[in-house]
Amino acid sequence: MLKSVFRLASAIALTLAVTHAAYATAPPNMVPPNVVLADNQELVRHYGSEAASIDPAMCESVQEALVDADLFEGLTRADNAGQIQPGVAESWQRTDPTTWIFKLRHDAKWSNGVPITAADFIYAWQRVVDPKTASVYTILISFVANAKAILAGALPPSKLGVRALDPYTLEVKTESPVPFLAAMVSNPVLAPVYRPAVEKFGNEWTKPDHLVGNGAFTLHYWSPNDKLVVVKNPWYWNAAHVVLNAVDWIPIDNNDTATKQFESGQLDMTYELPPGSYASLKAKYGNQVHIAPQSANYFFALNVHDPALKDVRVREALSMVIDRDTLVKRILGDGELPSADLMPIKVEGASPTPRDWESLPMDKRIAAARQLLAAAGYSAQKPLTLKYSYNTTDINKLVGLYVLSEWRNKLGVQGTMENQEWKVFIQTRHDGTFQVARHGWSADYNDATTYLDLVRCGSDSNDMKYCNPKVDALIAQGGNETDTLKRTALLTQADRLAMSEYPIIPLYQRVTARLVRSYVGGYTDLDPLDRVPSQDLYIIKH
Amino acid sequence: MFAYTIRRLLFAVPTILAVVTICYVMVHITPGGPFDLERKLPPAVLANLQAKYHLDESPLQQYFYYLGRLLHGDLGASFKYTDWTVNELVAKALPVSLAVGGLSVPISMVIGIAIGTVAAVRRNSAIDYLVSALGNVGNAVPSFVLGPVLILVFALLLQDSHGVGLLPAGGWGGWRFRVLPITLLTIVNVATISRVMRGSLLEVLTSSFIRTARAKGLPERTVILRHAMRPALMPVLSLFTSIALSSITAAIVTETVFSLPGLGQLIINGAINRDYTLVLGLVVLVTAIAVLFNLIVDLLYAVVDPRIRY
Repeated sequence: MLKSVFRLASAIALTLAVTHAAYATAPPNMVPPNVVLADNQELVRHYGSEAASIDPAMCESVQEALVDADLFEGLTRADNAGQIQPGVAESWQRTDPTTWIFKLRHDAKWSNGVPITAADFIYAWQRVVDPKTASVYTILISFVANAKAILAGALPPSKLGVRALDPYTLEVKTESPVPFLAAMVSNPVLAPVYRPAVEKFGNEWTKPDHLVGNGAFTLHYWSPNDKLVVVKNPWYWNAAHVVLNAVDWIPIDNNDTATKQFESGQLDMTYELPPGSYASLKAKYGNQVHIAPQSANYFFALNVHDPALKDVRVREALSMVIDRDTLVKRILGDGELPSADLMPIKVEGASPTPRDWESLPMDKRIAAARQLLAAAGYSAQKPLTLKYSYNTTDINKLVGLYVLSEWRNKLGVQGTMENQEWKVFIQTRHDGTFQVARHGWSADYNDATTYLDLVRCGSDSNDMKYCNPKVDALIAQGGNETDTLKRTALLTQADRLAMSEYPIIPLYQRVTARLVRSYVGGYTDLDPLDRVPSQDLYIIKH
Repeated sequence: MFAYTIRRLLFAVPTILAVVTICYVMVHITPGGPFDLERKLPPAVLANLQAKYHLDESPLQQYFYYLGRLLHGDLGASFKYTDWTVNELVAKALPVSLAVGGLSVPISMVIGIAIGTVAAVRRNSAIDYLVSALGNVGNAVPSFVLGPVLILVFALLLQDSHGVGLLPAGGWGGWRFRVLPITLLTIVNVATISRVMRGSLLEVLTSSFIRTARAKGLPERTVILRHAMRPALMPVLSLFTSIALSSITAAIVTETVFSLPGLGQLIINGAINRDYTLVLGLVVLVTAIAVLFNLIVDLLYAVVDPRIRY
């Protein structure tokens, strides 16, 4: 009897584990009842540099994703708090570790009124994975079964692990267990596209006259470097809950210029504060200045094959002596969070691990670091010399000067700095012709594996050329684990092991810092991936 | 003059070809390519991208392919802005640059010549010192300082009760968006033009034919306007091409400060992104405009200076 109860309990637990994501039914964020809305519901948002493309298959940058999230909706969508809400799929279920079933809503329509079916997703996903499309952002589709082989040209796009069980049921098979799939499919790169428009207009299909989308808004006007205007889409299935009538997306490369346009009353929201401006803007604009931790970090990449840096003791010594608190509070001062780990806080799937030396006072850290350097054969007579390469920006220069001065003052390291234009720099880093290089990473999706990819052997993102098969084994083991707790433990262990060998010197976690008018309702600081869809925003009477 | 114009226009073809060729070589030998991205592309994707833009062909084949398209008036597809062709990008940006730079140049010419003339005629007077001082300020203070000062005053300090600036701090739209950029360009241009005009007129005023005119008893107004002005305008005319080009096609600082969607923005983005077709397309455009302006100036020389005949 006891045995059968145990068996039953195990079966229920397994079923729950496998179908845990089913039926996300939380309602979208609504306007609180006491809020009086403004008559004019037109929002003016700054979005950094101009979008290179608004075709979801080409959607690579954060800015492009912001605009595309207004125009296209995937199976799910991220709300203003970063929570995953039903999108075109009204429910989903993980039927086994690598199989997901998405049930599409019957009232989801294109902006021309045509119903959206599973075939639209299959077409869009096959288009993204097809090397002929030449999408520059294929990291997300790579999780779907066979995608890597298709991207390598070994299989046709039709072999992608996605199929329609019926017009409103989509089955997705993944290469390995992907617990974050429901969140990942909210990214616009995996949104459906309207096949007749793509096939009829080719490259021209994203023009205002041709574009057919399925988001809360449709494209009304777009002139490059000037503005992109979207207006409310009456065919959107949840249009009743969309308050804004229009959003003007303003591309401005320079954050100083954008801030001035906010100050002159032209913009309701900026994308980013200019470096070093937080304190003065905070004094002037108070709670209209928003700071929130972002799932993005800033670090120095170490070339682990460089003769001076191949000794792990040297790499550890260099990391130990940097006073990161002073860096973020006195040098940067825009709310960044000090970090000595690859994992930022708020990342799903792993916890950041503090280094042992972080709790020590600085003088003890310096003494220990000096011992490590001495053991590696460096002394006052034979000092360590290093070159720091960075792409030319004020922040990179400032951080470089600070870290090099820390190394010189505390360890006698003789450092030089070399700035390079971005494209030259990225070549230098990919080619491994550097000693210490500026690096940073923004999460592609909210899971630890997006960061662990940086330290995986042979990964395209691993410019340090660091490789420890044990780390890879832990990442693979964690990747195949369906138990969330065990998975987190394995991936945390992978991070801890990799970071104990210091292929990088983490410095800080980046923040989202922007100006938002107090009359913009629905804005929160809760999403570490900083998506803030316009459909959850509204303008309060002011 | 007609034959001369035709000859000059025909000469423009080899000029543009030479500039395109030099620029083509330069963009291709510049380190870093359009597809060097933070995350490396899968090899099959990269191969398709290179095939799409003909980068998988030999440099010579690519060059002739580009020239072939150019002859058809097709500047190609942008490498970075994949939703747009270079023709479309230029067609959107050129009117903006013309509306700002194109208006600033004649305004600058009129004001610059007028105050340069007044300063020369009233040499060493208070007005002369004032013009010189303003000219020096205009030349010495860079646009990236003067621009933000204009924004500070007219967009941030002078605001209505809703916190909206008297003029926009940047962006593009109706006439209100054009006032500050045109003002900035004009201040910079006037500083140069007035200085050259003043110096040139002063030199002309010491010539013997002016002495003769005065000796004949001609009124000073006639001496200046009928006799001195025309030869004094020659150096100013020489300035025209460089001022027009820097105001219309390469007002990079002005366009950045005011975030104008003009040609200057495209030039910067094209270079940063190694957008080969965009950079080459803009070079063709700028060269063509330069050739045209040079021709106009040369024809104007003949109008101003009776000794010049074509």
